[in-house]
Amino acid sequence: MTQQRAYTSGSVLLLVGTKRGLFMVTSRDREKWEIAAPTLKGHRVFYAILDQRSGSRLFAADNGDFFGSFLRYSDDFGETWQEPKMGIQFAEGGGEKLVNIWVVEAGRASEPGTVYAGVDPASLWMSTDHGETWEIDRGLATHPTRERWEPGAGGLCLHTIIADPTNANRMWVGISAVGCMRTDDGGRSWVFANKNTRADFSPEKYPEFGQCIHRLVQHPKEPDVLYQQNHCGIYKSVNAGEDWMDIQHNLPSQFGFPIALDVHHPETVFVVVEDPAARHNVGQQFTVYRTQDGGERWEPLTNGLPQGNGVMLGILRHAMCTDTIDPCGIYVGTNTGQLFASRDRGDSWQMIADFLPSIYSVTATLLV
Amino acid sequence: MNVPDVMPIVTVSFPDALRTRVGNRRTVAAAGRTVREIIDVLDRDFPGLRFNLCYETGELRPYVNIFVGRENIRYLQGLETAVTTGVTLHILQSVAGGR
Repeated sequence: MTQQRAYTSGSVLLLVGTKRGLFMVTSRDREKWEIAAPTLKGHRVFYAILDQRSGSRLFAADNGDFFGSFLRYSDDFGETWQEPKMGIQFAEGGGEKLVNIWVVEAGRASEPGTVYAGVDPASLWMSTDHGETWEIDRGLATHPTRERWEPGAGGLCLHTIIADPTNANRMWVGISAVGCMRTDDGGRSWVFANKNTRADFSPEKYPEFGQCIHRLVQHPKEPDVLYQQNHCGIYKSVNAGEDWMDIQHNLPSQFGFPIALDVHHPETVFVVVEDPAARHNVGQQFTVYRTQDGGERWEPLTNGLPQGNGVMLGILRHAMCTDTIDPCGIYVGTNTGQLFASRDRGDSWQMIADFLPSIYSVTATLLV
Repeated sequence: MNVPDVMPIVTVSFPDALRTRVGNRRTVAAAGRTVREIIDVLDRDFPGLRFNLCYETGELRPYVNIFVGRENIRYLQGLETAVTTGVTLHILQSVAGGR
């Protein structure tokens, strides 16, 4: 008989999507952590969230090796999983096929039934009934430039979705390798938001689109302020993506995948930059970098993080996140199965899991 | 021209990963003239099964193998491969280790 998973209010739940299953890691004090046996064992879970807007519903982007990709949900913390009544699928015979589901995000607090998903081939999907039925965003799917969109190494993936909490008509998405796009009319039309971001791999260094955005986050108090980690730089926008400023400054590399911020001190931003050729830490010290002034200056955070000749850790785009506690916790999963946590804004770290499968994503939820 | 008026009935064998999709059965009987017709019939009885086997474009997924008897349909006529009464369609996940 399977024992029902039970989690305590006030605990932090980490959902760790890996190459071979979804792991749930919990703590009441963010110091001692417990790892439950994986759910969706053996499945490639690109991303998972816990939506607490009405109940506690887990969503997981389950990309099976053999029999297709499914956005699954669970109302019992992963004991059992359901498929939507009408899931994410392109029209039969329409020429497009679902390759992978990359991300799922809860909608605004004012729209508790709304859930968004991003997939490869680049498209945005929306559910307004808690994930039971899904529809493609036609504005993005029929964008006039779509035939000229090119994939990155991970595919033509829509990997980041931000629904502006202050404007029900405004959203941003990140697509590799297309760039940042914004809608101001609820998804009916989309514009590129890539001005001053580079595409060093392209003959045209500052194209209208074709940039390889890796991850995008929004300032929680100033909704027009955005930060992005790009294939070619770290950028900040103060005008909703109309243009961007390069904030690499003293970082040792422009290349990395994840970016996260402290919601209580949103000028505090975290990145993990990498050697762009080797795709792991620059030098022998695995380092998370923090700015506390919106990108003017970056400081290396290494206390408790590994160092040595054999330390070559890569972090994928969804594998770093923060929690919503003050001081904020930060969580970083590696593509070799280590999970690091800090409960003091990155000042010190501990490894809270090892020997996991390759980590694709980490999301943190403070349980209500 | 001789057109058979009786639809061939075949036995379809499923891998473990798909048995929950077909009511926890190991095998299911289905009628159809080609592998594609068999899949269409099965999808009516077990909605969603076609998506497990084929992309929305209609092509067979790359790591799904279907054998008519001992013959892989990829080396026959693919999903248009004809079937005859009494054969077994084996649906298998391919050997995709090492990834």
